[in-house]
Amino acid sequence: MIRRNRKGAEGRRAYRSMVLPPFLIYIFVTAFPIALAVILSLSNYNGGKMFGGEPWKIVGFEQYGKLFADPYFWNALRNNIYIVLISVFGQLPLGFLLAYLIYRKIVKFGGFWQGILYVPAIISVIVIGIMWSIIFSPYGPIADAVNRVYSSAYSAKVSALLRSPGGEGVTDELVDGIIDISGSTVGDIFSDPRADLKDFLQSYEPEDLPMLKEDLVNLFAHKWNADFLSKPGVAMIPILFVTLWCWTGVYLIIFHANMQKIDTQIIDAARIDGATEMQVMGRIVLPSLSGTLLNAAILCISGSLSGFALILAMTGGGPARVTQVLSIYMYDTAFMGAANYPLANAIAMMIVLFSLVLILITFGVEKAFGGKE
Amino acid sequence: MESVPRRIKTVRPMAAAGKILAYAALGLFTLVTVYPLAWLFINSFKTTNEFQMNMLGLPVDWTVDNYVGAWKIGEFDRLIGNSLLYTIGATIGITVFSLQAGFAFAKIKSKATPLIYGSLILGILLTIQSLMVPLFLEVTILDKLLGDLLRSIGLYGGREFKLFHNTRFGVLLIYIGSALPVGIYLSTAFIKGIPDAIIEAAQIDGAGYYRIFWSIILRMSAPIAVTMCILNIPGLWNEFALINILVSDAGLKSLPLGIFKFSGSLSSDYGKQFAALVIGMFPMLAFYVAFRKQITAGVAAGAMKG
Repeated sequence: MIRRNRKGAEGRRAYRSMVLPPFLIYIFVTAFPIALAVILSLSNYNGGKMFGGEPWKIVGFEQYGKLFADPYFWNALRNNIYIVLISVFGQLPLGFLLAYLIYRKIVKFGGFWQGILYVPAIISVIVIGIMWSIIFSPYGPIADAVNRVYSSAYSAKVSALLRSPGGEGVTDELVDGIIDISGSTVGDIFSDPRADLKDFLQSYEPEDLPMLKEDLVNLFAHKWNADFLSKPGVAMIPILFVTLWCWTGVYLIIFHANMQKIDTQIIDAARIDGATEMQVMGRIVLPSLSGTLLNAAILCISGSLSGFALILAMTGGGPARVTQVLSIYMYDTAFMGAANYPLANAIAMMIVLFSLVLILITFGVEKAFGGKE
Repeated sequence: MESVPRRIKTVRPMAAAGKILAYAALGLFTLVTVYPLAWLFINSFKTTNEFQMNMLGLPVDWTVDNYVGAWKIGEFDRLIGNSLLYTIGATIGITVFSLQAGFAFAKIKSKATPLIYGSLILGILLTIQSLMVPLFLEVTILDKLLGDLLRSIGLYGGREFKLFHNTRFGVLLIYIGSALPVGIYLSTAFIKGIPDAIIEAAQIDGAGYYRIFWSIILRMSAPIAVTMCILNIPGLWNEFALINILVSDAGLKSLPLGIFKFSGSLSSDYGKQFAALVIGMFPMLAFYVAFRKQITAGVAAGAMKG
């Protein structure tokens, strides 16, 4: 009896000292900030007396009202939804499909493909964001490659025209020909295209023909301004693409590993009975992975809510705030320009709420359509 | 006997087309994955001038000047030192705290377990990044309050009291806290699988829970400890959103913060920027190459949080 009591006390002491430190740290980084966010989002706190400001008090749901009236909030929320959609309906199906190809040995070298496709997920999203912002920029390689095609096509046309008069005689025909192949750009550069262009062409000596060609190409060849990331209407597309690019490999690995657990006899039997690969995938593999799919979807949603660093590195939320997601909207509200902590905390609450809603929807979908695992 | 080969014959062309399509799909994905990274790597050896003239080809003169310059401007030795400290420190903290709590939840009976364990597990669904503003306010307010308190009782006379904000301690604390839910979930499940008989036998021999934890459980939990380390190291090394608000002193910044600097004021110097990006991705690529099997296995457990 005494011995058991001693053991009980020792157990309680051990339990306390093993559980409390991690639990308190956890409270420090989650429960406490959430409580703080709730309070401050209902207040007019902007530093308070402590930091030499005005004393603060609770003012109610004022900030939430401001938030719902702010078009940038709805824009950020819409972008978040886009990212969730591309994650759930892009990363998951693609990852599943690729995993299936490898699992069923439809392609060889499964380990190799998996190894490569996971690489983006291990690299810092800051590196990835900056890299893709260069690739998509007007000074980047995509624009460069396309404009090279335009220049060489134009250069060929110019060469064809310049060859016949040999460079010395600038005929009206030549001028018309160049105006013809150059489209509107001539009119943008010269006020009186025909006369000015003629003067321009005459200013070159015959031996300067290569230089003239080059100058004509530089001046008049069609240029594509690759403004993926600076055009409000399309700036989200590269971000969605990179999101897909970055994380699909993770789901490939998760799905492939869980496919290994499926009893292969069932699949072999189905194949012998004449089931096609599509039927095996839809009727056997997919249902037996429903639990994994649920976990992956939750992972996917919480991951897509943290698109913060990627977007900060790719666009910074620009141009004109169109690529902001909620976390960047919150960050800007708190740290850029005049700080508005109550509003930023209201946004934090909305993000927490948004993720809870999404996860509840995921559970609901699983309950309604889920198979057995 | 006749019908079997004929059936195979009719199926074959379809299967072959499927195979080609499958290879094309994986080939395309692989190309889109590898090409940008290879492009980045190759261009880090061009001068900025050459890059602007020749974006897609190989460098005419390979140069490592970009690396020398970027390393100096970026102060990468300090950044990497800090990143190592944060990553290793937090990994050890996460692993030890998770295993201890997991042991207590799994093997010491307590009425408090459902409540505490439940609230910890709820954290798996939470993205700590969404709390960056309240976290920032929490650490700055606490530092201010503690500083004022200590000053008023005469224990502190410095200018600015720092415990949580702009300190390595603060970063480690928040990194550890944000990874604990998954860690505790994994360790509790694993330690539940260790037979009670082993613990009872040790207790009969007179060992207390602490002794049992350090000399028996810790060793038996090596597989899950390795999984936790492998899962956490890349995430911690690459972490940006939290450290971005926790630290503003240049001396405390981590590698991702240092790389981010190259996207702003230094963005027109492509050569150095590329070199900085390669320096930024190299450590984790090396880590991946070294531990690919373990990383894949860990991720497959479905435990990695984005």
